[in-house]
Amino acid sequence: MRNAPSIIVRLGVPLALLVVVPAVLALLDSAYFGRIAQLILITVILTASLNLLMGTAGLLALDTVLFYGLGAYTAAILSVNYGTSFLADMAIAITLAGLVGLLLGFALVRLVSIFFAVATMALAISFHTIALNWDGLTRGAMGYRGIPPIRIAGYEIDGWFGMYLVTAIACLIALFAVHRLTHSFYGNALRAVREDEETARSMGLSTRGLRTEVYVVHGIIIAGAGVLYAHTNQYVGPDNFVLLESVLVLTGVVVGGIGSLPGAVLGGVIMVVLPELLRDIGNLRLLVFGVMLFFSILFLRRGLLSEVWALAWFRRAAANSPWARRRAK
Amino acid sequence: MTYAVVAIGFTLIYRVLTAVNFAHGEVYTIGAFTILIGATTLNLPLWSIVPLVVLAGALTGYGIELAGFRLFRRFTDEASLKSRAVREATLLSSLALGIVIREILDLIYKGDWQSLPETYQLSTSLDLGGIYISSGEAVIAVVSIVMLIALQLLLHRTSIGLAIRAVSSNMIGAQFSGININRVVIAVFVIGSVLGAVAGMVVSLAYGAIQSYMGLTVVIKAFVAMVIGGLTSLPGAAIAAVMIGVAESVAGIFLPSAWTEMVAYMLLIVFLIFLPNGLFGRRR
Repeated sequence: MRNAPSIIVRLGVPLALLVVVPAVLALLDSAYFGRIAQLILITVILTASLNLLMGTAGLLALDTVLFYGLGAYTAAILSVNYGTSFLADMAIAITLAGLVGLLLGFALVRLVSIFFAVATMALAISFHTIALNWDGLTRGAMGYRGIPPIRIAGYEIDGWFGMYLVTAIACLIALFAVHRLTHSFYGNALRAVREDEETARSMGLSTRGLRTEVYVVHGIIIAGAGVLYAHTNQYVGPDNFVLLESVLVLTGVVVGGIGSLPGAVLGGVIMVVLPELLRDIGNLRLLVFGVMLFFSILFLRRGLLSEVWALAWFRRAAANSPWARRRAK
Repeated sequence: MTYAVVAIGFTLIYRVLTAVNFAHGEVYTIGAFTILIGATTLNLPLWSIVPLVVLAGALTGYGIELAGFRLFRRFTDEASLKSRAVREATLLSSLALGIVIREILDLIYKGDWQSLPETYQLSTSLDLGGIYISSGEAVIAVVSIVMLIALQLLLHRTSIGLAIRAVSSNMIGAQFSGININRVVIAVFVIGSVLGAVAGMVVSLAYGAIQSYMGLTVVIKAFVAMVIGGLTSLPGAAIAAVMIGVAESVAGIFLPSAWTEMVAYMLLIVFLIFLPNGLFGRRR
């Protein structure tokens, strides 16, 4: 059992997402639970990539909705107006997000913590203003309706079950990418930049370069989640991309544990499940999140699954994994 | 001009604690709602509501300090006071407090625009040698200037002002000279929040419309003004705030009104990147 963590991570998570959850969903056979499962996976992508930026690289960002909306609107505009397919949308959205991320990242990473936070906050609000008012491109407050469902290689995936599988695969790819970036020497370099910029630079790390890179990567992953959202929700409007949505994703990261990937996944799950459980109280949703954010900063400073715990766990997993042993031989 | 009053309170708090108070916009909202409650449910005359607004602002500021900032100043050594973790924790906690206040108001008033009774609105038009402005706007301008001057006098002529300046230039040093830091910080929050609440009051008197989300954009504009004004300079922040207001109305000539919101945000990003010391800041 010594290499249990590694097996759980490498086989357990994909197995759970691709076999166990679909089996349960098929048993329940309810579109509602299928939709919730998709939303959970999309939110997990958001929290995981925000965690890469905010936790591992230490850049407190509030512009999640900028890239999320960029991805979603790109998919909506292209597929409604030009009939592009899911994968084409994904490719274009990712390229676009990469370019925007590079431009903004280049400009923004030189800012110190709170100034970065407020600048990204301004970007998030600007995005909402643009989405609401650029009628010609975004159809203003109406948004885009009737976005076609996911179609890959001419094969249409229409039902919630197929959509769930596509979302699950995308989520696994995103989690794997974030995992490899977080739990590696690259992640260590990012943490070094976060803890002490001068020391990191004196050891030959390009602090701005690393920050720009991680900003671009986080933007790309979030834009991918936006494309998924557009195609599974089949409606995109400016109200999906207000600043408060960024704060919700951020709350997920804080509750789960800043810098901890398992924590971010847990936080993403909580952020979707909790409002569904609390559906009855309706308007109180944001209030609950505000209170939750406040108390988790106050009493759960390291989050539910702390970064130190997560790093130690993954380190043990890496040392004990069959892959590492084979390399050692 | 209204941005100026909010920006002054915001900058004052930033200058002393180097922490951003995102709940400051909600103080502004509370100022406006105090007027609304006083005017509609309690039917008080205007002169008796003004002290209530000041009191509400002071209490809110005190509450925000206790809940959002005091709890995160558990250690008093220099390293933890200046650490990034503490600053980000207070940023998030004040953001969370802001959400809580805003949502509570939103629940009570259902997010609709509330309007003040006509009798309370200052909307008579004044003739200043050919230029017509409404009396509300004149009140805003006068109140802003009076509060700015009063604050400067307070900071430079009284002992609490001296203590505030001492804490803002060196918190540890001030502590060693026998200044009660917590008392000074409370004073700063109370002063800053009274300014914010009064700003909310005069704006709602001038334009007559009140909504629970009105503080959100104002606090960001206050931040923009602070950055342009050079982070630590109160007159700088005030001048920058006036500039933002002018820039927005000039942009309103060329752009549809919905887009003028963007002006402040674009200014913020341009200034952060190209002129991080602002227009009136000292190089550090």
